[in-house]
Amino acid sequence: MSVTEQTRHKLRKQLGKIVSFLALSLAAFIWLVPIIWMFSLSLTPNEILKTVTTSLIPIKPTLQNYINVFQVGLTPRWFLNSIVVTLITTVGTLVLCSMAGYAFARLEFKGKGVLFPFVLAGLMVPKEAMFIPLFLVFAEFELHNTYAALILPRVAAPLGVFIMTQFLKAIPRDIEEAAELDGASRWTIFWRIMLPMSVPALTALGIFTFILTWNDYLWPLVSATEKEMFTITTGLASLQGNFAQATELGSLMARGVLASAPLLLLFLVFQRQLIRGIAVGSGGK
Amino acid sequence: MSDQAVAVHAPSAISRVRRWWDRSRDSIDAYLFLAPFLVVYSIFVIYPVIQAVYMSLYKWDLLAMDTRSFIGLRNYVRMAWGAGMTWNLQHLLAWRLVGLATIPLSGWAALRGSMGRTTAGWLSLAAVVLFAGILGIHPGESGGRWYDAVFWSSFGNTIKFVLLSTPLIVGVGLAMALALNGSGRALGLYRTAFFASYVFSVSVLTLIWGYLLQPQRGILSAFLSGLGFEPIPWLTDPQLAMPAIVMATLWWTVGFNMVLFLAGLQDIDPTLYEAAEIDGAGRLMQFRHITLPGLQRTTLMVVVLQIIASFQIFGQVYIMTRGGPGGSTRVLIQHIYESGFRDFRLGYASAMSLFLFAIMFVVSFFQFRLSPQED
Repeated sequence: MSVTEQTRHKLRKQLGKIVSFLALSLAAFIWLVPIIWMFSLSLTPNEILKTVTTSLIPIKPTLQNYINVFQVGLTPRWFLNSIVVTLITTVGTLVLCSMAGYAFARLEFKGKGVLFPFVLAGLMVPKEAMFIPLFLVFAEFELHNTYAALILPRVAAPLGVFIMTQFLKAIPRDIEEAAELDGASRWTIFWRIMLPMSVPALTALGIFTFILTWNDYLWPLVSATEKEMFTITTGLASLQGNFAQATELGSLMARGVLASAPLLLLFLVFQRQLIRGIAVGSGGK
Repeated sequence: MSDQAVAVHAPSAISRVRRWWDRSRDSIDAYLFLAPFLVVYSIFVIYPVIQAVYMSLYKWDLLAMDTRSFIGLRNYVRMAWGAGMTWNLQHLLAWRLVGLATIPLSGWAALRGSMGRTTAGWLSLAAVVLFAGILGIHPGESGGRWYDAVFWSSFGNTIKFVLLSTPLIVGVGLAMALALNGSGRALGLYRTAFFASYVFSVSVLTLIWGYLLQPQRGILSAFLSGLGFEPIPWLTDPQLAMPAIVMATLWWTVGFNMVLFLAGLQDIDPTLYEAAEIDGAGRLMQFRHITLPGLQRTTLMVVVLQIIASFQIFGQVYIMTRGGPGGSTRVLIQHIYESGFRDFRLGYASAMSLFLFAIMFVVSFFQFRLSPQED
């Protein structure tokens, strides 16, 4: 290869890099347009939105729409409901699943060979298809329109048990054995040794549970029928049908931004853990 | 010290008692650790399935709970059957022929060794029964009708959504993963951008896309009219509503599949590529002979997860179109929901829930059977 040919080759490679950079940047920008648009509309005064709704940069930016969220309607209440339900569900899932996972991973007991498949069978039960009988279970206890009804069905996650079992199984036994010789109880071993060592799995499972619970739509729609008990997800959905669409678009979008704010923050902070959680949780490997 | 001495001299009796005690203490501990999960799990995950089977055998009115009566399998008959039913060869012929293609495909897969022979046999048998037989059944020309035509139309719409969304969302997810695999700051930022839409809730998705797709005020038609197109009434045209829903769903969930494919790509042994490079294999050859086979397991898993997720579609259509226009986007879960909570027929809704459950069960069962390297 002559010198000129070499530089030409290099140039072509550089050019290819630049082209793919531009193409990917454009694609990523287009992908983000719907999100940017929501933010832009939420910062634009409603009067302007009566005529122009297609600007990606807010015209005469204002925070009025966000102030409106706290003045009109139940959005703050729904937000609070979602926070309470999601936090308790997440913590509850982590506690229940890690305890069960510890038993399956570390303890020998009669019935293990039956119980583990029994739990795995739950992976086959699609939650979205079982809301009718579940509705009846809570109706019998007169628990609809309570936090308990929104939390309890989501806490028993067989996938969580599976993930925790796999993870705890892979932890070497020597530290536990040393603690056992020192006379530590099972609970101490679980709480002081196993849990701190499974922080990566707990983080991934926790973030995943948080997102799924926050975004849950069908079950809250069925169970929480009183306006005060809506979650932010069902509440926001209820606004979309009857909100005075033409006049209040900005206020509506501000509610959308607020509804996604916790998840966007969580995503930006824990992106890596979330991605690993998906890979681990779905692969089951 | 003395323990050890005893153990050496009298090994049998005492150590046996001790081992027994240890083991039963282990069992007690284990059940204490399991109890909270098992209680909640049994009541809220397992019991509802049993309850659904029970309810599906009753005429079970939500408003008058006391008046429920045992009707055997009549809910299922109402769901799946009709009056004046006939069978003929032509009904849904094109779809049935496509379905029958399962037989040569599974035969080919069995010959290649990527599917067990028994599985291929059962799959072919199932295809014959379903596509040659069952799908030919329909209400006759004169006075025939389904008992619940809405069930079949909403099931058909669900199938339509599954068939449109699965190849698209899996394929685009794979393409994204291939384009964005690798290290480097820029690639990481792109991955973040494409994955970000996954964290939104369904009602934020519909909030954005409901307006984005509006012909007068939406940003999509603003863009399209800039290119000289007429405004398109996406959500109010029966032909376009479902594709529009698929498009919104693609934007919403494809990042999830991308992440799964990226994880699959990480699992491929990099020395394979190095060896291929030395042998002088080009990029395309490497892709065909290393990347694609290496992603087989991941692909199967992604497809199955996508099918299961797609069968459960509800929120997008319920919020954006309420199943309209003209019932063209009404899906099965919406029909279950409305039968239960608008028409108050809980027994009938349970029967349909179990139908959906059975389909998803079969799909995930195939995941186990189709992966031959399963350990």
